[in-house]
Amino acid sequence: MNQSVSVSITEDQRDCYQEISNVAMGQAADLLARLLGVKVILPIPVVNLIEVNELRMALSGIENSDTVSGVCQGFIGNAISGEALLIFNDTSFSDISSLLQYKGVLDAALELELLMDVANILIGACLRGIGEQLDVNFSQGHPVVLGQHVNLNDLLKSDNYRWTKTLAIEINYKIEGYDINCDLLILFTEDAIDVLNRKVDYLLED
Amino acid sequence: MATPVLICDDSSFARKQMARALPKNWDVEITFACNGEEAIQVIKEGKGEVVFLDLTMPVMDGYETLAYIKKNELNACVIVVSGDIQPEARAEVTQLGALEFIKKPISTDKAAEVLTKFGIL
Repeated sequence: MNQSVSVSITEDQRDCYQEISNVAMGQAADLLARLLGVKVILPIPVVNLIEVNELRMALSGIENSDTVSGVCQGFIGNAISGEALLIFNDTSFSDISSLLQYKGVLDAALELELLMDVANILIGACLRGIGEQLDVNFSQGHPVVLGQHVNLNDLLKSDNYRWTKTLAIEINYKIEGYDINCDLLILFTEDAIDVLNRKVDYLLED
Repeated sequence: MATPVLICDDSSFARKQMARALPKNWDVEITFACNGEEAIQVIKEGKGEVVFLDLTMPVMDGYETLAYIKKNELNACVIVVSGDIQPEARAEVTQLGALEFIKKPISTDKAAEVLTKFGIL
């Protein structure tokens, strides 16, 4: 870890990350829309270079009063590593289970299953989309539960990051006509930013 | 005579990518716009005979832009280039009068194929 070199991104690079995220998030949303038989409302993705302890601020789509459940999944490819977080507003689960026609009681175990199912789809498709555009093949680790029915600050605290700065992409998905709200956060490590910037510069070249 | 082409997208990278994807042998005069409001202005000035339009944009999005073009019968062939590839998005823009719906990221081959299909090229 090189703490002495300060990382940064230019406005052009930020715009490029945003557009890449926009395309990747659209591909992921299309899969989710087909799975649930709904229309996913797409936001404009938010790209920021932030301190890891400012993560809470990056999650603009979720209110403080809500209880949430979340998973995270590490990824790595071509010297670019990071973590993807998927955080659900707990009110989302009853609608998701009925859309997927799950039978039985909606308990913590079933909620976890739903969380993992959606996380697999959204995180996988989003990373694939970003990877395709940047010519990187990401491998994903096993998903890890960050917490269920907790407040957002506790959910984020439970994670122990070894890097300080992160390139954060926040995508807030909502489903039209349903009470489903989730935040997908793709966090690239500090060390990855230089490599990513070079890849993006290549795309920005005339 | 050069064809007046308008590329409308809020991302400068996306505008550049779109411009690059246009066939090299196509004689065009390109104008850029960052949102629907700017796009409509450009079309009214006669600089947007063929329009490549993004959907998700601030100020005025692609759907609103298409609706305005249709309602006011502006002279423009609109091809939507979108990151939102849900079936509903395609259906909606087609209903609003878009000629075609292309998934982002746009490729040179796809651009040529669509332009040929509609006899623009």
